[in-house]
Amino acid sequence: MNAYKFLRPDGTGVFSGFHWPLPVGVPGAWVRSDVDPCRSGIHACRPRHLPLWIGRSLYEIELDGEIVDDAMKVVASQGRLLRRVDAWDEQAYDDYTRMCADRAHELARARALESWEAVIEPSVPEGGALLGFVAARIAEVIDGEDGYRRERASQAEWLVERLGLTP
Amino acid sequence: MPHSPLHITCQEVVELVSDYLEQALPADEAAVFEQHLNFCDGCALYVDQVRKTIDAVGELRAEDVPEETKARLLTAFRDWRRG
Repeated sequence: MNAYKFLRPDGTGVFSGFHWPLPVGVPGAWVRSDVDPCRSGIHACRPRHLPLWIGRSLYEIELDGEIVDDAMKVVASQGRLLRRVDAWDEQAYDDYTRMCADRAHELARARALESWEAVIEPSVPEGGALLGFVAARIAEVIDGEDGYRRERASQAEWLVERLGLTP
Repeated sequence: MPHSPLHITCQEVVELVSDYLEQALPADEAAVFEQHLNFCDGCALYVDQVRKTIDAVGELRAEDVPEETKARLLTAFRDWRRG
């Protein structure tokens, strides 16, 4: 199956620091690891997971072998990077951040959540991962965990449409 | 245990950092822990500093400690025992 994976701009894993074999015209080399979610294995995102792990560089990854689906990620015993998602560039990152900020304002203003409203703009320089969280948290304040999940789903839909990803 | 299955606070990161670094957190708690680090630069820096400290202390051998420091520590330990 194909999924997506955020890496640091230098091609290393955000939490593992692993230097991924990057695709250069052809897919990168296969990487293998025992599956143990959050400890070992190839960690990746289905589109619905993307807002939870927003980073600067996004790749499409092919997963194989043992595959474990989780609420927040998918973990496999084998994976190789197929291509960089070029549409996830600086402009798309900034647009996503702005979209989340505007949505957070919309939610906070509708319920006069002034303390939340006050944190939105100062958070914008921190980027899309934080603003996506802020918008989802405000939705949670209003509608509970279902609100949080709906907001995250909406953010994922934005990313799928903007980046032309396979849902 | 985090108060929410969806996210954790900076305070909870501080409370859980040892378990996280020792890979003692259940997978779902480790996932929300890492999600927090993904958007909170302050906590990511804090966890990195704790990790480096643990690594440094783990590599420290008795013979690496200067004699003067050993003597001061032993004196402090004796005083503590007397106190």
